[in-house]
Amino acid sequence: MKLISNEQQSAARAFLVSGMVWMAVGATFGLLGGMALAAPEVFGNVPWLTFGRVRAAHINLVVVGFVPMALLGAGLHFVPALLRTRLYSERMANGAMWVWNAALLLGTITLLLGHSQAREYADYIWPVDALIVLAFVLLLYDLGMTMARRQEPLMYVSVWYFAAAVVVTGSLFPLGNAMWNWNGAMSGVMDAILLWFYGHNVVGLLLTPLAIAAAYYLVPVITKRPLYSHTLSLVGFWTLLGFYTHIGGHHLLQAPIPAWLKVISVIDSVMMMIPVLVVLINLWLTARGRYGELLTDLSGRFIFLGTVNYLVVGIQGPLQSLPSVQRVTHFTNWTVAHAHLAVLGFAGMIGLGALWYTLPRVCGRLLWSEKLANLQFWLVFVGVWAFMLILTAGGVVQGNAWINGETVYRTVPMIAPYMQLRALFGVTILLAAYLGLYNVLMTIYKGKRIER
Amino acid sequence: MRMTPGLVLVGSVMVFSASTFAVIVVPWLGLREQAPSGIWRELKPEEEAGRRLYASNGCTYCHSQFVRTQDWDLGMERVSQEGDYVAQSPHLLGTSRTGPDLAQEGGEHPDDWHLAHFANPRNTRPQSLMPKFGWLKPEETRQLIAYVQSLGGRQADKRVARQKEWKAKAVAAYRAGADANIRWLHDHVPEPWRAMPNPYPATAGSLARGEKVYQDFCTGCHGPVGDGQGPSEAFMDPPPLNFTTLRRNLVEGKYIGGILYYQIMNGITGTAMPYFKHELESAKIWDVSNFIAVNFIGFDDSNTEPAGIDASYEPMRGERPASGKWSDEGQVDAP
Repeated sequence: MKLISNEQQSAARAFLVSGMVWMAVGATFGLLGGMALAAPEVFGNVPWLTFGRVRAAHINLVVVGFVPMALLGAGLHFVPALLRTRLYSERMANGAMWVWNAALLLGTITLLLGHSQAREYADYIWPVDALIVLAFVLLLYDLGMTMARRQEPLMYVSVWYFAAAVVVTGSLFPLGNAMWNWNGAMSGVMDAILLWFYGHNVVGLLLTPLAIAAAYYLVPVITKRPLYSHTLSLVGFWTLLGFYTHIGGHHLLQAPIPAWLKVISVIDSVMMMIPVLVVLINLWLTARGRYGELLTDLSGRFIFLGTVNYLVVGIQGPLQSLPSVQRVTHFTNWTVAHAHLAVLGFAGMIGLGALWYTLPRVCGRLLWSEKLANLQFWLVFVGVWAFMLILTAGGVVQGNAWINGETVYRTVPMIAPYMQLRALFGVTILLAAYLGLYNVLMTIYKGKRIER
Repeated sequence: MRMTPGLVLVGSVMVFSASTFAVIVVPWLGLREQAPSGIWRELKPEEEAGRRLYASNGCTYCHSQFVRTQDWDLGMERVSQEGDYVAQSPHLLGTSRTGPDLAQEGGEHPDDWHLAHFANPRNTRPQSLMPKFGWLKPEETRQLIAYVQSLGGRQADKRVARQKEWKAKAVAAYRAGADANIRWLHDHVPEPWRAMPNPYPATAGSLARGEKVYQDFCTGCHGPVGDGQGPSEAFMDPPPLNFTTLRRNLVEGKYIGGILYYQIMNGITGTAMPYFKHELESAKIWDVSNFIAVNFIGFDDSNTEPAGIDASYEPMRGERPASGKWSDEGQVDAP
């Protein structure tokens, strides 16, 4: 096996496998962090298992590793297919894959050793950031050349979202990580403004468009129906770019940043309902009358649940950006619940659906076990919704206690049962990740070959 | 609208750039020459090193550093301002409060409290979720403590100076011997409190509630039996008070409730004894005072004179049972 393979579909396959590996590793760190919050003495005096380091490793692995890599893997398969061409260079995409994986490995090790920029979602140190930018540049060039060589004159909506995710995140990454400074940060409240511009956009302009691209591809394919509306696709695409980029300030509503910036962030957060609902209406009307096909299909089931979670996240997000709601929810586990439903419940779920659809097609083998993949669906479903309900409840308890005059220390015992339940359900997500990894590896090495 | 590669790539970058201009460049133009606030000061090298440790170990994921108008916790006397953060890079505002906000932590506790707390946070805060930092090198612990003591800027410096001033006096008092130490402590309690009995009867209910408060807040230093031999004792100078020594130092031979209340409410600056007025409401402090009095001192003055008109639920004054304890119903057991 060549490291930088030129074999067709090899890059897509490698991205999918990488996504699954990082899901397993990322979920492992998630569970370690969850255990520390349920039983703080559990890891004793081991520096690299300290909660602050483990949490950063977890967040960056799922947001920069698992979800985007799985979705990019699927896209590297369906984007050339939609353009009726081949990927311009498998080597280049494979190169990006290795650089990306090296970045995640280096980033995780350095975080665990205590080298962090301490900026949530942008914690990796400068050299790791540079590797990720390099991977984006390679992918962007490859994608641009693939689009230039397309045989299909019309570009389908999935291609727009995929291309926008790559080009905009490629621009966002060096900016949000303040890469002109070696410590990867600006200073004062300006640094907080920049960080939350980045932190929200990395979800909104990388994970969201990649997931929407996959859903726009898979829902019509699985239900064998044409897309409901081209116009709605256009509205959804441009409003996502226009509104999402303004809302980072809603993380700082109670912090001393300029008031007009807070106003913009709240208004555009509420406006975010438009791109969310437009995409969902378009997808759900495409599938109307054919939900049987969608829900009996393994990938379709993942994708459909992903869209339902997107609806919940897309309504919850605007509401919790309102100052009156944040009075209770800010600083609490409520936000943690929201983040898990967005990253795992929406983008991650669609990523997994796209992975199970794409994997057999890029390795020429049947899925090793549809049953295991289906079990994974239920484990993630139960796990992520348990997280959502448990952490939201815990967050409401914390938030209300605080505004009624309890100190943080007094609320620690109040959230203990929620922390314990969360750690428990973390096990289901961990199990889902390792079952998925096992299934992917068995498919690649032991799956029944598809006769051409 | 016909979507082409050029339109998608250039168009999305243009929208992104316009947004970046609006929400990054424009604020930057306004914030670039940020005036420091009144409490801002530059960090010393040791504090700077501590700040790096704070950042690289992810302290910011559980501890925020901005006080809001709605807050009741540590630092609530001063809401954070833009100018507090000048030149701080990276910012450490934080997004979560699994632990308390630290914007004004400097000088809240003396260094020995922090030593005990970093070795194991349960040493001083039995319910804490914080990881142990006993693995830090002694030098790193010093740096981290220096940073934490700088939080709050000039305001923190004043608090730290106050801790140091009273620490010297508290240590001198402790060295003078157990009874002299208690006299010194009592002398710093305002007169009205010294002759005030605990107005809450030490009923079974009060003692049970007091025990819970004692376990959640006090055992780390004063120990489960009130002898001052809790797990943090080894770190503290002066060490935590052994309550049993209070028995022979009652004020006028009959009062102790008001003194306990006052010391718990206000703390003893300079020693590791924090104030609990933000964390415990009045009834909780009186209840834990009763618990300490009955169980560790063996004497309680609850519900004795002087007291005003009894609250409706209170047992009749002067009908204390010979056992010194009230029955489960909070009433005197029938003879």
